[in-house]
Order: sequence, then structure tokens, then C-alpha cells
Amino acid sequence: MDSVVGEIFHFQQQHWHLLPQRAIFWEEEKTLIVSDMHLGKATHFRKAGIAVPAGIEQEDLFRLQQLITRYLPQRIIIVGDMFHSTENNDVQYFRVWRQQFANISINLVKGNHDIMPDAVYEQLQIQVNTTLTISGIHFIHEPCDDHNGFQYTFSGHFHPAFVMQGAGKQRLRLPCFYFGPHCGILPAFGHFTGSATLDPAAHDPVFVIAGKSIIRAQ
Amino acid sequence: MQQRSGGWKVIHQWLEGNEFKPFKFQEDAWKAYLQGKSGIVNAPTGFGKTFSLFLGVLIAWIDAHPKDYTHKTKNGLQLLWITPLRALAKDIARAMEAVLQELNIPWQVGIRSGDTSLATRAAQKKQMPEILLITPESLHLLLAQKEYPNLFKHLHTVVVDEWHELIGSKRGVMVELGLSRLKGLRKEQLKVWGISATIGNLDEALEVLLGPYHNDGLIIRAKLKKNIALKSVIPQEIENYPWAGHLGIKMLPQALPVIHDSQTTLIFTNTRSQSEIWYQALLKEDPMLAGALALHHGSIDMELRIWVEEALHNGILKAVVCTASLDLGVDFRPVDSVIQVGSPKGVARFLQRAGRSGHQPGAVSKIFFLPTHALELVEAAALKAAMEEELIESRMPVLLAYDVLLQYLMTLAVSDGFHAAEIWEEISRTFCYQHITEDEWLWLLSFLTTGGDALGSYDEFRKVEREGDFFICRSRMMAMRHRLHIGTIVSDAMLKVKFMTGGYIGVIEESFISRLQPGDSFTLAGRNLEFTLIKDMTVLVRKSNSKRSIVPSYQGGRIPLSSNLGRMLRQKFNEALSGKSRDPELIALQPLFQLQETLSHIPKDNELLIEKINTKDGYHLFVYPFEGRLVHEVMAALLAYRLSLIQPITFSIAMNDYGFELLSDQPIPLTLENAKQLFSTDNLLIELQTSVNATEMARRKFRDIAVIAGLIFQGYPGKHKANRHLQSSASLLFNVFKDYDPQNLLLKQAFNEAFFYQMEEARLRETLERIAVSKIVITTPQRLTPFCFPIKVDSLRDTMTSEKLEDRIKKLITTND
Repeated sequence: MDSVVGEIFHFQQQHWHLLPQRAIFWEEEKTLIVSDMHLGKATHFRKAGIAVPAGIEQEDLFRLQQLITRYLPQRIIIVGDMFHSTENNDVQYFRVWRQQFANISINLVKGNHDIMPDAVYEQLQIQVNTTLTISGIHFIHEPCDDHNGFQYTFSGHFHPAFVMQGAGKQRLRLPCFYFGPHCGILPAFGHFTGSATLDPAAHDPVFVIAGKSIIRAQ
Repeated sequence: MQQRSGGWKVIHQWLEGNEFKPFKFQEDAWKAYLQGKSGIVNAPTGFGKTFSLFLGVLIAWIDAHPKDYTHKTKNGLQLLWITPLRALAKDIARAMEAVLQELNIPWQVGIRSGDTSLATRAAQKKQMPEILLITPESLHLLLAQKEYPNLFKHLHTVVVDEWHELIGSKRGVMVELGLSRLKGLRKEQLKVWGISATIGNLDEALEVLLGPYHNDGLIIRAKLKKNIALKSVIPQEIENYPWAGHLGIKMLPQALPVIHDSQTTLIFTNTRSQSEIWYQALLKEDPMLAGALALHHGSIDMELRIWVEEALHNGILKAVVCTASLDLGVDFRPVDSVIQVGSPKGVARFLQRAGRSGHQPGAVSKIFFLPTHALELVEAAALKAAMEEELIESRMPVLLAYDVLLQYLMTLAVSDGFHAAEIWEEISRTFCYQHITEDEWLWLLSFLTTGGDALGSYDEFRKVEREGDFFICRSRMMAMRHRLHIGTIVSDAMLKVKFMTGGYIGVIEESFISRLQPGDSFTLAGRNLEFTLIKDMTVLVRKSNSKRSIVPSYQGGRIPLSSNLGRMLRQKFNEALSGKSRDPELIALQPLFQLQETLSHIPKDNELLIEKINTKDGYHLFVYPFEGRLVHEVMAALLAYRLSLIQPITFSIAMNDYGFELLSDQPIPLTLENAKQLFSTDNLLIELQTSVNATEMARRKFRDIAVIAGLIFQGYPGKHKANRHLQSSASLLFNVFKDYDPQNLLLKQAFNEAFFYQMEEARLRETLERIAVSKIVITTPQRLTPFCFPIKVDSLRDTMTSEKLEDRIKKLITTND
């Protein structure tokens, strides 16, 4: 864990720890922010007879657990797509996992995949909202293009990746954190998720996840 | 005596009445068949190979029922005729029906393929026709039906047509598996025959068809030769002819006289995009061709393709621009000329295409070779020589295709279920699975029942149920899904293309359309179309008047040079160098060879040429082994890997059939002193495995494997949206398997396919051994040479690196600043 290096990004008068585990720790609010976990996705596939490896979500949650013990957040914000689909046994697994951190509040900003009945989230002690605003910072699942009246907005949904090109026709494609003029986009936290290539304006900050470290790409 | 049998006499009388005289190979085949043998008939098209087996079956039938063969009906399925092409089935059925009618045999001939209507299927289930023509996929679909053994109760003969086309592919494995089940049902009563054109490994083809333990198989050879006249169309000004390129449009004016002087011409291109471009360009060059020129490739609407084929039969068309889509299939009598645009990359394929003209036995097949870039003319000379020496490629059979086996087991599970011991016995007697281990078999079974290992109490995997030794799928939903997925031909997700006003045009790759903006124009089926929107998996377009339009580049268009042709190619370069060649192609190329010699060097037979050139792109290293792009791809990765051990360095890699290029942002540490060591066979296997490319190659192979094994859910036809939570890409699956289940057999298969089929490790080793005894010549030309130019402009590139990811990124950032 110690060899893993984050990058502290001072932005909008706040300190954002960009972490190679595909999460942000918001120092001022003691809040861990993740997006697009897609828990239960592999199980959803297996239930339909498609034998993807079991145990992917357990590993994802273990990674989150490591982040929690390291940064001791008071709150976790999930910017949408926490569970992949309808209820399956991974929800039960999560319930057990959740009990370790009963004192930490979990806020889910509803994404297009979050389709389970409200009662399920209630049982899991997850507060569900369509949007969330904390100290002027707004959270909504799908990125917005225009200014929406808030100081700044964080989103997910896109699963962003950034392509770098250079001499000798080299090319690299890596998951990234993106900070647009009004809206930032988080990388997908879940391991069993794809990514889409981002085409940012030249002056927008982009941080790529390069193995165990974070590197500012532009 | 067999010859005197009643059936033999009836057939002979009928042949004589029609003034047919049977070829010797046909009579040989009848004899062998009547003796109860199995085997392969090897004959070129146009010589009645269908009759060599079909009439044998009829003789046996008449012999068995001498009194009532003219009115015995409802006999059940007697003869199963497997064909790779639906279009072939129709014509063969027609020919068979004509014979049956004249002989007064009231047999039914049925066709079973993806096009067969539901009503016909139901009727067939009630009463099978005596002869059923079927594709490998449809055979497996029959095995996926409840109570399928009833369909085959009377079956005694299976014929596999165009076996040479099937054997090197996973469709061939489907045939092997289908046969293993039919043999299991019918035991010794089943005779299996193949029909094959000449290939390099015909004996092996027999082993694959009958299984490695067969003892009664034989090969009946027709010993008939087709006369082929090959003529190269030589550019008028070779000095100005492009050094690189793959379209050959500049040569189009020289193709027109061929079309005008022939009755009907087939113009073969190597890719679908190229055929689109040629179609447009021909119409522009000669507007009189409008209405008499057609286009035929795999993305064009089936009905339109059938229309083109009919029109070819009837001689309405002057010319058809086509791709491999017309390689196979029935003979079109009016076709008397073939134009091959660009290198066909193999002797067998070239012969096959040439054979599409001049069908009458004894007629000459005329084929014109039209180069798309200057150096390709050398390939024409090489092809000619290879044809004379009858150097025809082998088709390597597929081994241990776990993906196809998983699909097959699921097929049996959704019909009546299967007993593992029985099926194990059957499949381990096939060529493909003769070396499967018991552990692998158990893994496959558990993959279907428990979804592999690593089970926790939270697992909900559901697919096949196990009851002792019996395996069955009881979910109707999964059974239906599986039936929709049977097959091994995997293509990129295809979308239908329709006019806004209605009217279907064809299909197009999703990846191509996703790059277009509404309002952009593109070309499909010879039309300029404007992209409007995508709705319900359909691309809606309107007619475009735009002068500029994008031609889709389709995947899978690139065929590598075969090793036979590569060897000939090296010989021809040698001859060209000697200046004594009498090939018109080589004589025409002299100016280009002189330029190459002045700028750099032309390698002799015992030399390996390496060129080091610096341009604004960076430091280039070009190497020319002339071994075909597959071998070059691997050699390039290997060399890059070995160079990267000397110092941290990153390469981008490009290759073509003549050589490969390593490009770097820093000088490349290859010298005359270390060159031999860099090309040695020491530690070859280990270093191949460590070279980054193995993973990337395996990842590409995994796509097909994942689809065939049923890991990728393609959705129901027309019901795309409903299942979006089950969508995932093969690349993503590959990643999760690699990280979470590295022992997975499908992953192992992907690496195997990359190593043994794609990398052609044996051929690579031979090449390296050849280099070891060659003289290495390194030149440093001041500008790009005729040899290196086509490689440099190639846009498909791989990467090989020994630098740390972080370092590479930092470098990329600095160079961009």
C-alpha cells in the first residue's frame, strides 16, 4: 500500500488526493469519492451462464477497504453506478462488508445502472439521491457540458481514458481523472468495466493512472 | 462383379443416354463406395466431382432395392451432404433433383441452412428427405433439437464437400464434432467421404476427416489438370508507378481492354473497401458499363448477392467486382476472364480464382494480374513459377479448440443432454481433440456446470446441470440463446444499413459507423450514402450527392504471404539481380531495382539486408527476410525485445510481406558486430513468450474464442437494448481472466493460437536458421528506398518497450510540450 503514490491536486480552494486505486480523497471534507463500481456485474453475468471469473467484486471491495483504513474518511460518495444491475448475492456480500464500517455514511448519487428498489439501499444503509451538493461542490452521475450554477461539479458515467502520443509513433491509453472548466470526471472504480477515450481541450487538467502512480498528462 | 450389378447398369445406361462418359476417377469412387470404404475424392471443379459420390449412393440404393426403387418413398435420411456455402447447396440440389427425376427415383432432396423457412424445417422434422444438403452450423443446430437421434436413424453416408475450404478453420472442427456424434449414433454403418481440391497435405486432410484411428480410408485422385494462362498487366511507366499502395486504381485504364475483349470478367480484389472503390472508379472511367457491372462482397445484402449470382449465370453481366465472397461456389459458365487486383498472397487461392474462368473440361483459364504497387510485379513472377512447380499450400487443421468443444457440449446439453463418458469416447477419437487430457475435459465440464473454480457461497452460476454422469441444460431461455449463437464465424458487430424511406442496402461494421458524424458520406454497395442516424441497430441513410465520401475499411482484409510464395519471391529477387531473367515482370522492374541498388542494396540469396534511415519521425531500422507479414510481425517483436535488453528503449513496429520496420525516438543499437546474435535461435521460445506482443496477439485471438465459447452475449436479433447489462467487450474479458483466472483453458487457447497458428514458430525458427548462415548487409541510405517505402507508410503498428511506464509517459509529455 505504501508504495502506491497519489497526487495532491489543489483545485477550487480544496485539496484533492487523486489516488491510483481510482478514487479521490477530499481532504477538507474527509470524504472518499469513487464512481462506477458496477458491483455485482460478474455475478450478473454468471447468473446468465456466462462464466466470467468469480470474485472480482470482492477484490474491488477489498481495494475500497484498504483506502478506508488508510484515509479514515467520515463519508463515501459514490457518483453513480454502484451496483451493475438487479439484486443478486453480491448485495448480501456487500451487506456483510458494510458492517465493518457502520459509522461511515455512504452517499450514492443515482446512476443509470442503480435500478434496485429503495428498500434494498435502505437495508444497506446507503443514502440515495439524484444529486448531492457539499460545500458548493455538486455531484451528479452524468457529466454536464455547461455551467450549472454550482462552484464545481464531479461526475462519473463516462469511464474516461486518455490517449498519449509521441515521437516514434508511440501511443498509450490509460484511465484518467479529468478536470473540465465546470465538471470533473472520475475514472471507473470497478475492475470489470471498460473505458471510453476522452478528447479534452488542451488546457484542461488530465491525470493518468500509470500503474501505481498518478501522472499529470496535461 | 460389382460392375455387373443392377444399379451400375442403370446408371451406365442413363449416362450413355445423355452421352456422358464417366471419368476414371468417378468409376474408381463408385467402386470404393460400393465396397463400403470411406475416403476423399480429389478433383478440380468442373469435372463432375459431385457425381463421383452421388451416383455411387444411387447405385447402392438400386442394388439394395432392385424391384421397387422407382416407387419406394419416405425412406428417411440416407445421405447427408455438408457444404460450406449456402449458395452451393441450391445448385447441387437442382442437379441432384434432375438426375433423380430422369432415373425415376422418387427421393426428396432437402436443404437446411440459415435461410430454410420454419415451415420447411417442421416438415423435415416430421419426414426427413432422403438427401439433405446442410452447412456445418445447421448440422449442429439439428443436434441441438430434442430427440435428434431419430432424424439420423437410416443415415448411411455423409459427404463433406469443399473439404479443403473447411479443414483449416474452426468450421472444420464443427464438421469433425458433428461426424463424431453421427458415428456414435450409427457406428460402423456410416461411410464418410470428402471432396477436396488439391492441397499440400491431402493425406492429413483424410486423417482429419476420418479421425486418426481410421483404417479403411483412401484418396481417389482425378489426375486432371487445369490449363491456366497468367498474364501480368505491366504499368506503362514503371518509373512513375507508385512504390506503395494497395488499390491499383492507376492501372484501371489498362484493365478496361480485358473487360471489353471478354464475355464476362470477374475482378477479384483483396478487401471489401477496395472492391467498392474499384466499382466506382470503373463506372467513372467507362460510363457505358452502367447496368452491366455489379459488385459482390460479404457486406452486401444477401438478396442482391443472389441476384448478382443469377445474373452471372445468365450472362447478363459484363463484369463483377468481387472479393473472396466469390472464391467458392458454383461455376458461372459465361465467365471467361479473371482479373486479380493486387497479390493474392498464396498459390492455392490464385489457382482457385483463376479456375473461376473457363470451366469446360479442357478449356484454358485466363487470369490477369494487376499490381497495386511496383514491387508486387515480382510476386506475379513468383506465382507463375510456383504454379509451374505445383507448390500448393497446406491447410493446417485446427487442434484443441476448447471454444468449439464448449459450444458443442452446450449444443448437446440443450437438446437431449449427454453422458460424459460416451461423448468423451467420441471426441477423443477426432483429430482435433486426440490429445485432450482428462484434466482438460473435467475442466470443460465444470466450466459449463459451475462456471470454473473459485466458488464462494455467494456464487449464482447457472448453465448446465449435472446428474451423475449426465449433463443437461433445463433452462429454455439459455437453450434458445445458445441456438442463436451456434457457429464459429465471428465478425465485428454489424449494423443494417437502410434508406430513411425504407429499402435495405447492406450491413456495415459498428466500429466504422461510430466514427462518423451525421451528415458524413460513405460508400456501400457502390452507392454514395449520407449518414443520418442510428436507430434500433439500423443505420438510416439518404442518398448523397457529395463528391467526397469515406470508404469503410473492413477488418480481416489482410492476408499474409504463404511460405511457398515467400520462397519463390526470394528466388525471383535473386534472378532480377542477375539481370538474366526472362520474366517480363522482372524486366519491367529493372529501373526500380537499379534505384534500390544505387540507394542501398539488393540482397542476394545468401544475404540479409538491413537499412538504417533517419527521418523526422525518428530512427528507422528496416529488415528484409521476405517471409510474409506473420513471420515478420513475430521477428520484429523478437528483435525489438532483444534490442531493448541492451538499453531501455521503445519501438513502434510495422511490417509487410517483404520485411519489417522498427522505429524509435533514439538511435537503435544494432551493429554488424551484434547483428548475428540478435537474430540467433538461442532462447527463442522463452524470449518469444516474454516479448510483449504475445499478450496482444492472444488478446486479439481471444475475441473469437470468447464469442464461440458463449462468453459474449450478442443479444437477440432486433432486441439489442433489453440485455445491455450483459454486454462486455472481449478485451475486457481477456483482462479479467488474465488477472483473476490465469489458468483458464480459453485463455490458454488464445495464447496457443497466437503462438502456433499466428506466430508460426516453426517457420520463424527456419528463417532464423537461414539468417544464421547468411551474410548480413547493413546500409545507411540518405533517403527512403523502394524496398522500405511500402513498409513505412503502413499505418498498422505495434509497440514494444523496455522502458518503465512512468518514464514513457514523462517522455511523451516532454515531446508534446
